[in-house]
Amino acid sequence: MAKRIFTSAAINWTANAAGSAIGTPGTPSWMGVKGASGTQITDVLEILFSGKATSSIVAAIEFCRASTLETTPTTLAAPHSDGPMHFATAALTAPVVTFVAAATGPTPSNTVTDGKINLGLNLFGGIIRWNAAPTQQWTIVGNTAPGGESLLFNSSTAGGSGGNGDAHIMYETY
Amino acid sequence: MIFSQQSHQGEIMLDHRASPGIPAGKAEQMGLDPTLVGEGRMSHMATLGCAHCNAVVVLQPLRTRERGHCFKCNRYVCDYCAADMRRPDYDHRPFEKVVDLVGSGKFTLQGPLWNPLLIPTGE
Repeated sequence: MAKRIFTSAAINWTANAAGSAIGTPGTPSWMGVKGASGTQITDVLEILFSGKATSSIVAAIEFCRASTLETTPTTLAAPHSDGPMHFATAALTAPVVTFVAAATGPTPSNTVTDGKINLGLNLFGGIIRWNAAPTQQWTIVGNTAPGGESLLFNSSTAGGSGGNGDAHIMYETY
Repeated sequence: MIFSQQSHQGEIMLDHRASPGIPAGKAEQMGLDPTLVGEGRMSHMATLGCAHCNAVVVLQPLRTRERGHCFKCNRYVCDYCAADMRRPDYDHRPFEKVVDLVGSGKFTLQGPLWNPLLIPTGE
């Protein structure tokens, strides 16, 4: 339909354990993308993360499925944003739910057979970007577990420590 | 035009040119090659998506074992799905088909995305 870009700014990426709900879900420390309906298909095309820490901190950033979804996602507010990449894009009738806070946090999947994208980097000057080739995109299916929500988070399970950084997730929904 | 399987490759670009990078011990813990992610290094790593479970896999360039491949899809499949394909009662179900079935509103998913259960919605 139309490519959109979900951007976060000035987040402290507190490390959270995979397999447990995100702690302090009201404070942004992750980015979530969820389908708007049970039949919505969303392709994630690119993820970029740039570290903003002022000292050396290794973060184990991962993009993974949510095994348990969040409840009551908080409406996105500045400085975070989610908008089309082309200015003339029509508004979506069923916008994808993008959020950085919620009443209860999503649970990053800890299932051994679930794929995760490893985006580990040093937050002191490090930059990492994942691009999907055509037909190789990460797909979000519907709006329920296991395929309906994915999140970008810092995994303490993989040895990450918390620090500042900005990220964007480029996606296209159908 | 000649088709190349490499046209399916995505990329992870990791730039530590202005950064202390990831220490060797930590890189190993995170499943990364310490020689590629240290101080001052910039690396480009190829990725592939599994045609059956949609997992994104960072390719290990030193791997000598064969990688999984589905000849029905003519696409890469991850190690878990490659093992699953060897079951005698295996039913070929590419991820694109799962997406179509859920998108039709007639099925929902349960279980992990690797070999998920498709539950009829009754529509």
